[in-house]
Amino acid sequence: MSVKTLDVIRKRLEERPDELRRARENGLKVVGWVGYNVPEEIIHALGFIPVRIAVGGDDRLVEIGARYASSKTCVFIREIVGAFAENKDPYIQQTDILAFDATCLQNYRAAEVIEYFFKKDVVVLAVPRNFHLDEAKEYFAHEANEFTRLLEERAGAPLDSARLAESVALYNDIRKTLKSIYTFQASKNNVISWEEVYDLIQAGELLDKREYLSLLTQTLDELKERQHYPVIASDDGDSRIFLSGSLIPRGDRKLISIIKSVGGRIVGDDLWSGILPHLDLDIKEISPAGVALGYLNRTPHAALPYLDLESDRRLKKLQECLSQFKAQGVIYHTLRYCDPFTFKAKETKNVLAKSGIPLLEIHTEYAGSDYEAMKTRVEAFVEMIKIKSEIAEEQSVLVDA
Amino acid sequence: MSLSGNYFAGVDVGSLAAKSVILKDGDIFATGLVPSGVNSVESGLNALNIALESAGLKQEELTYIVGTGYGRVSAPYANKAVTEITCHAKGANYLHPTVRTIIDMGGQDCKAIRIDQDGAVVDFAMNDKCAAGTGRFLEVMAGVFKVELKDLGAIALSATDTVPMSSTCTVFAESETISLVARGEKPENILNGIHHSIANRIAGLFSRVGIESDVFFSGGVAKNSGMKNAIEQALKVTIVKPEIDPQLIGALGAAVIARNFAKKEGLWA
Ligand code: SF4
Repeated sequence: MSVKTLDVIRKRLEERPDELRRARENGLKVVGWVGYNVPEEIIHALGFIPVRIAVGGDDRLVEIGARYASSKTCVFIREIVGAFAENKDPYIQQTDILAFDATCLQNYRAAEVIEYFFKKDVVVLAVPRNFHLDEAKEYFAHEANEFTRLLEERAGAPLDSARLAESVALYNDIRKTLKSIYTFQASKNNVISWEEVYDLIQAGELLDKREYLSLLTQTLDELKERQHYPVIASDDGDSRIFLSGSLIPRGDRKLISIIKSVGGRIVGDDLWSGILPHLDLDIKEISPAGVALGYLNRTPHAALPYLDLESDRRLKKLQECLSQFKAQGVIYHTLRYCDPFTFKAKETKNVLAKSGIPLLEIHTEYAGSDYEAMKTRVEAFVEMIKIKSEIAEEQSVLVDA
Repeated sequence: MSLSGNYFAGVDVGSLAAKSVILKDGDIFATGLVPSGVNSVESGLNALNIALESAGLKQEELTYIVGTGYGRVSAPYANKAVTEITCHAKGANYLHPTVRTIIDMGGQDCKAIRIDQDGAVVDFAMNDKCAAGTGRFLEVMAGVFKVELKDLGAIALSATDTVPMSSTCTVFAESETISLVARGEKPENILNGIHHSIANRIAGLFSRVGIESDVFFSGGVAKNSGMKNAIEQALKVTIVKPEIDPQLIGALGAAVIARNFAKKEGLWA
């Protein structure tokens, strides 16, 4: 299963930190963004280079972060704080300005800590809790304008509407191409795996956007050449796993590698570090407020307030994805002290149980000490799904006979 | 069902004990149980050899072997490895097809397992983050009272009162127990409190997966009558009586699965 363009992308990622350094020497500025509703198109249209600061999987950095952020902060944010304290991450080193949003309050806290302790230039976009109310949308439009004004100050030039339209078109093309590639990984006789597509999505957080679109297009062409019509269906002996819950950033591959090692096949995700942010983003108006509202109108992040089950778009989206990717079970990843996702695990499990989809919650952190315990749970879950589909197969044979 | 001449083994290497079960003609033919050593391959082989010896068999005469428990990852003698969750489900189902819920308390973890009529797992939850609710916890408590682990349950059952135990952490529970003894509380009443505190913790595990009758109790701790009684009270259920040592259920399930694999792979008809 080797897609040649993926090798090119890996190589370009290795070269990227140096490239950023040279771009900065030539007067360009890098904006590192952290969060879930940062309207990247605005950053891009202002002539900045956007990179997503999302690191995970390193317990040592979590410990360093805990010297600055409360130990009740989620491990993801503690690691980010630790990475700023250590200042060895090549992308953090190349960041001139930081853009945070307040979708999750832990993210907002990280902005305060990083600004205070590490004297970084930080811009924060406020996000309304009751995002479905008209007043909230009005408030958010106002905050998006303010966010843009703060970035314009740093860019030394106002946001040009034509450039914003270009950025929106570019990002729309990226999202469209990513979605097409994504269907290939879930197909029968797939030539690209979910893990490869996941890495591909995260590569886009760092690479130059125009180059990224061209690499995505090449990837898609290559896939189409090798697999004319991807049919989303099981291969023999598959146990099709869907990943949900707290984000899994670059550097954290513990759960993903465990699933693979016990014979599970991931066929989809609704992670905020995966495909979810690229789905359903409809920008209706080319303006800072229009772009920001497009972001907010996507499937809401779990940190935004509780919605009753009947109207919860998060659950609807999850169910829609499960049926689209023909998933047989959900592994719901919750990070230590990530309340937004941990508190939703039980109700998600109950809702899915009604449609016969089992859910396994894996509560973890970045230390490796729980590796074996996680492996036993995931392995038993994969066995459970395999046995269930074997029984279903035997029954269908009996019915056919 | 005739399985004459075909032998299938399950080997379960846990943190405190290694167990084995050999099936012949679909019936339990021989079993083995030894304390686990540091080398899990050796522990598993020791348990298997005890069963082989008592059956008068050689390892080559076994059609299929399934390894389970934490030692399943290094079991070169086994044809396949299967998790203990799936094995306990199959083992309990083999003995009692009406069982729908299993409580498995082993040396270092505790599991709540829901199964269907075929012995397939429907849902499960596990506690392995701390020693509370495990054999290790009870072992520490037996040490505090200087009694044999196997006598702990019977002592708890002789209690006239239940002294509440607020700590579930082994370290804190140990010092709380020492303070309770110093305060003059009777050992049997303290032990009763300890068993009830563990049972309540297990009830929490079941709030995640639910309970449906019949309920089966497996694992080494299932031999503790005081624990069985406390769980019955906490979960408001009656636990079915196992025909064999409940510590062997994982190995039994592994043997049943070994038989299924052998059939699937055409090693016997
Ligand atoms: S959503 Fe969870 S993982 Fe993300 S910042 Fe908030 S608490 Fe941390």
